[in-house]
Amino acid sequence: MSASMSGVANASTGSKKSLKAFSDDIWKNKTAKINAELFTLTYGSIVSQLCTDFERDFAKVNNQLYLMGYNIGMRLIEDFLARTALPRCESLAKTSEVVSKCAFKIFLNVTPRVGNWSSSQDSFSLFLDENPLSDFVELPMDAAKELWYSNIICGVLKGALEMVQMDCDVYFTSDVLKGDQTTELRVKLNRILKDEIPAGED
Amino acid sequence: MALYSFWIFDRHCNCIFDREWTLKTNPSSGTTNSKLNEDTAKLLYGMVFSLRSISQKLGSKDSFNEIKTIATAKYRAHILCTASGLWFILLSDLKQEDLSQVLRYLYSEIYVKTVVYNWLSPVDFAESANEKRGQGFRKIRNRQFLLAVEQFLGPMVN
Repeated sequence: MSASMSGVANASTGSKKSLKAFSDDIWKNKTAKINAELFTLTYGSIVSQLCTDFERDFAKVNNQLYLMGYNIGMRLIEDFLARTALPRCESLAKTSEVVSKCAFKIFLNVTPRVGNWSSSQDSFSLFLDENPLSDFVELPMDAAKELWYSNIICGVLKGALEMVQMDCDVYFTSDVLKGDQTTELRVKLNRILKDEIPAGED
Repeated sequence: MALYSFWIFDRHCNCIFDREWTLKTNPSSGTTNSKLNEDTAKLLYGMVFSLRSISQKLGSKDSFNEIKTIATAKYRAHILCTASGLWFILLSDLKQEDLSQVLRYLYSEIYVKTVVYNWLSPVDFAESANEKRGQGFRKIRNRQFLLAVEQFLGPMVN
């Protein structure tokens, strides 16, 4: 416990190296793990089931995956905060770092690169060099145009960020499954939501 | 060691759980989620809300200044505020210096595992916009949660 507590202290001071060590420690010592292939294949069967259910209307499949992700994200954020005890981020730069180095590491054991910052510093991209969701996957011809296979991740990020009062748009702009060079996930901050205050206070 | 009561508030300022052990009328059995406690809950929320805003304003900008305990002459309130807007509050006697580990356990091992992981239990306790901003009254009624809280805090009550 003492090790993790000092980790929390380091992480909140914002040094890059400690945030990485901090999340490595959580991944190693505080995370129950399952077989990655089990997870990958379960996700695959969800996507394939949705494709059947929506009669290969991939826009609807994308949408449904996003919604499922949103519902997961709303809950997953509590799990994340319970494990890391991180406070709210003071800037989007800090958020991007926590998402890539901490959240992706703890839940998927990958660390996406952060880059492609917009000039106004209100949006960034996450480059997923490896994506555990899409191991073994090759998109069929008709799906390659429209389907964002890992769209659930967008929903998860959207839901989780919304619970810490950040209203963001999250979407894929490219995916190696579609023949692109990289898998790029774009996060755009719309606004910081206000905390509710009790009735009668304003 | 004595605990007096335990409270959880959600991000809509609603009290979603309360457990009191020290009611004079029936000291042996406490009350859970009692209607009578609604006013107390609102007052407690208000106290923490105000002191929390003050402590954040008094802190320097770049370091995070979160309120942890409030002590009066008779009791001490231990507070855990999560980034997602949940508040966990324990009232204890003055001998308890710091129950932050206890609060953290209640959050990560009990709340997350019995309420958040429980897909059929709501994760947001406000049912409509009317029930936001402290107007709601829906409480955690999850048996596993109640049991786990009782098992964990029960031995510490007296």
